[in-house]
Amino acid sequence: LEALGEVLLPGSAAEGLAHFIDHQLSGPAANSMLMIKYLGMPAPFVDFYRSGLKAIDAAAMNRFKKNLTVLSADDASTLAGQMAAGEIPNWAGPPAALFYFVLRNDAVDVTYGTQAGFEKLNVPYMPHILPPSRWGE
Amino acid sequence: MKLTSELPTDAVDVIVVGSGAAGSIMAAKLAEGGKRVLILEAGPARDAGNLISSTLYARRLKWTGPPVIEGGKNPVGFVFNAGFGVGGAAMHHYAVWPRLHAEDFDMRTRHGKGLDWPIRYEDLAPYYDQVQEEAGISGDAQQEKWRPPGAPYPMPPVAVFAQGTVIARGFERLGKSVAPLPLAVTSTAYKGRAACIWDGWCDAGCPIGALANPLTVYLPRAIAAGADLIADTPVTKVLTSEDGSKAIGVEVIAQDGSRRTVRAGLVVLATFAIENPRLLLASATEKHPQGLGNSGGMVGRYVMTHAAGLVFGLFDEDTRPYMGAFGGQLVNQDSYPKTTHAKSGAFGSYQWMIAQAVKPNDLLGISTTRPDLYGAKLHDFMQRAARGFAGMTAVCEDLPLAENRVTLADEKDARGAPLAKVVHDTHPESIALWQASLSEGKKVFEAAGAKEVWSGGAGTMHIMGGTVMGKSAKDSVTNSYGQLHDIPNLVLAGPGLFPTSGGVNPTYTVHALAARSAEFLLKNWNSRQ
Repeated sequence: LEALGEVLLPGSAAEGLAHFIDHQLSGPAANSMLMIKYLGMPAPFVDFYRSGLKAIDAAAMNRFKKNLTVLSADDASTLAGQMAAGEIPNWAGPPAALFYFVLRNDAVDVTYGTQAGFEKLNVPYMPHILPPSRWGE
Repeated sequence: MKLTSELPTDAVDVIVVGSGAAGSIMAAKLAEGGKRVLILEAGPARDAGNLISSTLYARRLKWTGPPVIEGGKNPVGFVFNAGFGVGGAAMHHYAVWPRLHAEDFDMRTRHGKGLDWPIRYEDLAPYYDQVQEEAGISGDAQQEKWRPPGAPYPMPPVAVFAQGTVIARGFERLGKSVAPLPLAVTSTAYKGRAACIWDGWCDAGCPIGALANPLTVYLPRAIAAGADLIADTPVTKVLTSEDGSKAIGVEVIAQDGSRRTVRAGLVVLATFAIENPRLLLASATEKHPQGLGNSGGMVGRYVMTHAAGLVFGLFDEDTRPYMGAFGGQLVNQDSYPKTTHAKSGAFGSYQWMIAQAVKPNDLLGISTTRPDLYGAKLHDFMQRAARGFAGMTAVCEDLPLAENRVTLADEKDARGAPLAKVVHDTHPESIALWQASLSEGKKVFEAAGAKEVWSGGAGTMHIMGGTVMGKSAKDSVTNSYGQLHDIPNLVLAGPGLFPTSGGVNPTYTVHALAARSAEFLLKNWNSRQ
């Protein structure tokens, strides 16, 4: 998960991508802060992530004969581009383009969707009510 | 706001199912008219303290009830558009409150397309005026040259920031004009509510009362007038008399999990455009074997959604895109006449919502406008866009089609109730309208001097239809007051009543229709019985 997140948005692993997704998946769907809930997929969402990760691992092995975590930056980027276009042969998971979209946005959420993330962009947060924690943890 | 948890054991005058935009105003008006009103909300209780300024926490305001199965080439995007809990979808709505135009009400007569409403603009205009005074709208009626007749806005226009000024330049260079966007947001202190500080958190719910959501305006009035509001109490069906001529109450799942019956003289369903028809269909009886109000086979039909024409640009100037209201700063309705883009094969109306405040992330955030970017290029884009981004959205009319409909699915929820299934395909002339909006929008941004211009994919916003109003059970589900043709003391409220979508946001019209309906029901209370 973190390896793919690093391809989609470098630094997202350190921002807590895996923790964010795990935390949201571990609680009731009603409290979920995952963008996937908008996108017509029924809860619980854990199978969406599991099968998507399995599919991208298999795609890395098929194309490069390597695990995703040891791909070169160029190869990983090529794979991400194919995911975005939904053009990975023999993909066996949720629609590849949807999985790309969701995981990319999860990475953006943890990197730029928090108060600290706004600061990275010099965007004033201007809260009425500050979140008690980054994402309900 | 005080909620109760005890279901009444005796009959009340009115049960209002749903506490969103339509339910809250119906409850307020009927309670203020002296009726004993019970509001039943399927989702959780909510107060201003729950409205946390975070794009992540805001997702908790979206629908988390039983799933809706979506199909068709252009799904309506139910979860994003719907809400769950006290205040409903209106808790995360952006308060863009323009009026429908006269030609929206008789489109079939004028153009031979879609449907006619059973009322005309003149019938609704007094209720638009009434609601705008009560809820408060900021705007400039004179500058808004497209606006149909009505009272001037009670508050001055909303603030315009750099993003709005930059985009307005493009419209002006093309000989087009813009006006302040009419928003149900306080530009000044209004009726005890604070003025907006333009921080762009509307989507997360406005806890300071600047935006006219149900928690701020009509639910407090309903409670003050004696209405009871019970959360976490889903209605499973509407109950009817043995002869099928009257609604007598509802069956609910009480907070303790028991299945209970609550009786009432009048039942108002205000559970949004998908759940209202689902409940009617799920309440079938021997006398109404196809579902309540469905003798003409019209329940569930004509579901509509607005296609969102999204146009974006990057400018050299600092556009401060995080400032303002989430709905926007300015409006243009030059493309409202329905044949404006006929040469492109398009039909229908659209308006531009210009210079919407944006946050870095989320479905309507900066990052999602370029879903193709990832890696270092995405970081670079975010840094540039945080300073020079601008965007606007066309609200594109969706031609009503009978085959776009809600039905009961074979799948059931955890309590054994059938789920809703909704299918939606956009008419080719509506797709052409959306494409025309993108073409126009890009020209505006180029004229404004954008260094990069791009458009978004086909998104949807708002859900309307499904229980349309009309003149008879053969062509509609309700009359113009929302009363079922077949069962007059069962009343529907909300955007499901719309026979056409128009090219403007629906929430203001939802309020005006409900105000008209409540007034009629109170005036004719005895004859209704």
